[in-house]
Amino acid sequence: MTTLNGIPRTTAGSAAGVVSEFFDRYRAHDVEAMTGLCSVNADFSYVPVELWGKQRVLRGDGKVRTVGKPLWTGLIASFPDLSLTVHTITSNDDGDVVAQVDIEGTQQRPWGLVAPAGRHYREPHLFIFHVGADLLIDSITAYWNDAGISQQLGHNEVD
Amino acid sequence: MTSSPVLPRTPEQTVQAFLDAFGRHDVEAALAAAGPQVSVTVHPLGIGGTGADTLRKVLADLVRAFPDLLISVSRIVTTGDVVTALVKTEGTQSADYAGAINQEKHLDIDQAWRFVISNGLITDVTAYWCQAQLYRRLAVKRYDEIAIA
Repeated sequence: MTTLNGIPRTTAGSAAGVVSEFFDRYRAHDVEAMTGLCSVNADFSYVPVELWGKQRVLRGDGKVRTVGKPLWTGLIASFPDLSLTVHTITSNDDGDVVAQVDIEGTQQRPWGLVAPAGRHYREPHLFIFHVGADLLIDSITAYWNDAGISQQLGHNEVD
Repeated sequence: MTSSPVLPRTPEQTVQAFLDAFGRHDVEAALAAAGPQVSVTVHPLGIGGTGADTLRKVLADLVRAFPDLLISVSRIVTTGDVVTALVKTEGTQSADYAGAINQEKHLDIDQAWRFVISNGLITDVTAYWCQAQLYRRLAVKRYDEIAIA
């Protein structure tokens, strides 16, 4: 860890290393270990997660431990062969990290409104992380095209 | 009279110039921030190509379909030569877009645009957003019947 006057200091390299490790743990389906790389109060936003009901809209926004962790666990349960390919990771000395990642898997259980039909999906994702001075992730934001996933899984209804 | 030297733009300044022009609906000015062989990938539209014409079509289609298009930048993240802009795109549909017929619905959608900059020009742009959110707002019910209201 780099320090400045004895205070830990994030560098572009160390921040990218944390995120690379995060995806290694994701690939290993170790949700506890993924969460362990995040600060206790880490922010979480999966922008495409949006379920419209008659009286409310549910979104994938909140904290890693209360929203992210259940989403990761559920995704891995529904796609037991879930895997990912990291294409690029770029970072800066402020702890910002941007990663282009393909996530793929074969559906075995319901996922959202999509019934399992044994189909496979692969979809590009963009992740934006922030890694704090303690080398823990304190923010995760992700973008992808959920319509692409639904269509690959054979679900053609928008809702 | 002396002319002022043209200072090279930082990657963030290049992207800001692109976004400012796009926000003014000035597609040609936005394209001026991109190199002639710019690589363009728009995942939700299934677009992957190179050249200004590819990028021109992506931008022009949005401006044409949503004449009151509003681009609000919430955050710009610079990581070396890569600049990632998180934006909200809003507008009222006035023409067909991405296969969806015009039902005069309002669009508001969060997007991420990742740019690679070289020598002050955009050489690569990749756009991410959720087409399910877009179709939901435009009152599309099924992916296999996008043009049916």
